[in-house]
Amino acid sequence: MSQKQTSTYFVRFDQDLCAGYGSCLRVCPTKAIRVKNKKAVRIVEQCIGCGECIRTCHEGAVSAATEGPEVLEKDHVAIALVSPVLYAQFPGVMPKDVLLGLRHMGFQHTIDMSYFLELFQCAAEEFISRNRKSQMAPWPLISPVCPVVVRLIAFQFPNLLPNVLPVLRPVALMAREVKSRLIPEYTEKGKDVVLYYINPCPTKKDPTCLPSRKRPVPTEIALGINDIYPELVKHVDQIKAANGIPFYQTRFEYETCATGNASMWAMSGGEIADMDIDKSLAVSGMVETISYLEKIEMGLLQNIEYIEFRTCREGCLGGVLTAIDKYLAKGAVQKMIKRFGLGRRLHRENILRMYEKGEFQSEKKPSKLTRLFGAHKEALSIDTMQEIEKVMQLINGNDCTACGAPDCRTFAEDVVRGDAALKECLFVGAQKRKKG
Amino acid sequence: MSKFKKSFHIKGRDFIRAGEASINVQNLLKSMDFHSRLVRRIAICGYESEMNVVMHGGDGSLSIEVDTDKLILEISDDGPGIEDIELAMQTGYSTANDDHREMGFGAGMGLPNMKKNSDQIHIESKKDQGTVVRMLFFMPERGKTD
Repeated sequence: MSQKQTSTYFVRFDQDLCAGYGSCLRVCPTKAIRVKNKKAVRIVEQCIGCGECIRTCHEGAVSAATEGPEVLEKDHVAIALVSPVLYAQFPGVMPKDVLLGLRHMGFQHTIDMSYFLELFQCAAEEFISRNRKSQMAPWPLISPVCPVVVRLIAFQFPNLLPNVLPVLRPVALMAREVKSRLIPEYTEKGKDVVLYYINPCPTKKDPTCLPSRKRPVPTEIALGINDIYPELVKHVDQIKAANGIPFYQTRFEYETCATGNASMWAMSGGEIADMDIDKSLAVSGMVETISYLEKIEMGLLQNIEYIEFRTCREGCLGGVLTAIDKYLAKGAVQKMIKRFGLGRRLHRENILRMYEKGEFQSEKKPSKLTRLFGAHKEALSIDTMQEIEKVMQLINGNDCTACGAPDCRTFAEDVVRGDAALKECLFVGAQKRKKG
Repeated sequence: MSKFKKSFHIKGRDFIRAGEASINVQNLLKSMDFHSRLVRRIAICGYESEMNVVMHGGDGSLSIEVDTDKLILEISDDGPGIEDIELAMQTGYSTANDDHREMGFGAGMGLPNMKKNSDQIHIESKKDQGTVVRMLFFMPERGKTD
C-alpha cells in the first residue's frame, strides 16, 4: 500500500489551513493527492514537485519546501546562484543592480547563470548535430532543463527517457563550476560555505544527486524568489535611488554579467530561440506538456529535433514561487532583450573542447530516475483490471471528486487496491439509501 | 482464463479530439506493466488507425482485449470502406484529400506502419460497408524497462 503523508520532498503542507475543498486534487498531474477526513493527504513518492497544488490552493495551506531568507544570518560565506527569472521580477532595473541588491542583503557572491546557459546551448547544439548522423538518440530530443518535465517523464512516460537530451543542465554546470573553483578558496581557509539556489519553482536539489566523495560538500539551500523578494526589493530601490554607485569588483566572469540571451530563458521559447536548430518547438504548461508527451509516445513529432518543455505556463517566469505576475515579468524580459540585444559571448571552440573531454555528459543514468519515480505503483493484472471496471460500472463516472480522489477511475483503482472503501462514493451511498 | 476488454468511441471528422481513444488505451496498458516497447507499438497502431477513422471512416470504435498471452486491438467504423486492400497496404498510397494533407496527414504510411508495428494484421472491408482492422500483439515481454 502506498505511503500517505501530508508533506513531500518538494512541498510543505499545513493541515490547520486546509479546508478540504480539494481544488488541488484535479490539478495534480500524477494524481498524488487524496482528501481524507476533509484534509488533503499526499502519496509522497508520486510527488514530482511541479507546484501546481501550491498555485491552486486558496487557503495557502501548501507551500514549497524552501527556506526563508532568515537562514542568511548565520555565520558563513553565502553564495547566491541566480536564475535569470529573478531579473524579470524587477521591470526597468538592470540585472547588475539586482545582483548588487543581493550583495547588500548579505550574499558574498552572486553567480549569474548566463555563462552556463550559453555553455549548455552550445553543447546541446553539438549533440543534436552529431545525432543527425549517429542516430544515437531518438527524435525528438527533449530538453532536460525543466526538472519537473524530466521527473514527469520518469514517472509517467518512462519510454521517453532515451529522448531526454543527455547534456548536463545549466544549473548542474553552474554548481560544478562554483564547487570546483570558488568554494575551495574558502574551505582552505576553514570557512563554511553555503550555496543558495534562488529558484522560481519548488524543485529542490534532485533527490537522485548523491554527494561526491572527491570534495567536501557545501550545504545547499533552495530559496524561492518570493521568499527573498520583499527584502531584496528594498535594497534594489536604494540602489536605484543612489545615483553613481561605483562599479564593484568581481573576480569571475560569471559573477555579474547578464545577457539578452540569458534573460530570454525565463520565457517559454527562450531556450531554443537562439539555438542553431531549425526543427525545434517550445511547449509550456502542464496540460500542454502532457499532451505533447503523449503524442511523442504514439510516435508523432519525429520530424522535430528538439522540444523545450516547461510545465509552467509561459515558461519559468510563470513559476509558482515568483513574486510578480508572469505577464508583467514577460514584459520586463522583452524590454531587457531590446536593451541588451541578442547574441553570444563565449567562444564556440572552447566549449567544443570541453565537449570533447566529456564535460557535459550527465553522470546520472536515466534508469535511476525511473527507479525513484516509476516503480512505486504495483502493476495491475487482468483480474484487477476487471475488478476496476466492475467498480466503474457501480459509480457515476462524472469525476465529482466528492470521495476525495481526483477522478472516478483513480477512485476505482484505490478501492481495488484497498486504499479506499466503495461506500465513500456519494453516488453509491445514495443508491443504497434509495433501495434501503 | 480471464480476459479484459474495453472499447472507446471514435468520433469521425473530430480532429480536435482525435487521438484520445489511443491515449486512453495507452494509459490503460501502462498501468498494467507491459513492456514499454510493446505499449509503444500498440499506441502507434492505435493512433494510426484512429486517424484513419477520423479522416475517412465516420464514427467508429477502438477496442483493446488483453489476454494472458496476447493483446488484440480492433478498430471498426461505418465508413466508405477500402476498395483495394492490397493497394492500400502499399507505402505511399493514400486517399487523403488536400485538407488532410494540410494538417500533415496523408503520407500513405498509416497501414504500412500498422503492419510494421503489429505481429499480425487482418483487415475486413468492402466498399460502402465499413472497415474492421484487427491487430494482434504477442507478449513474451513483461516488466517495464529493459
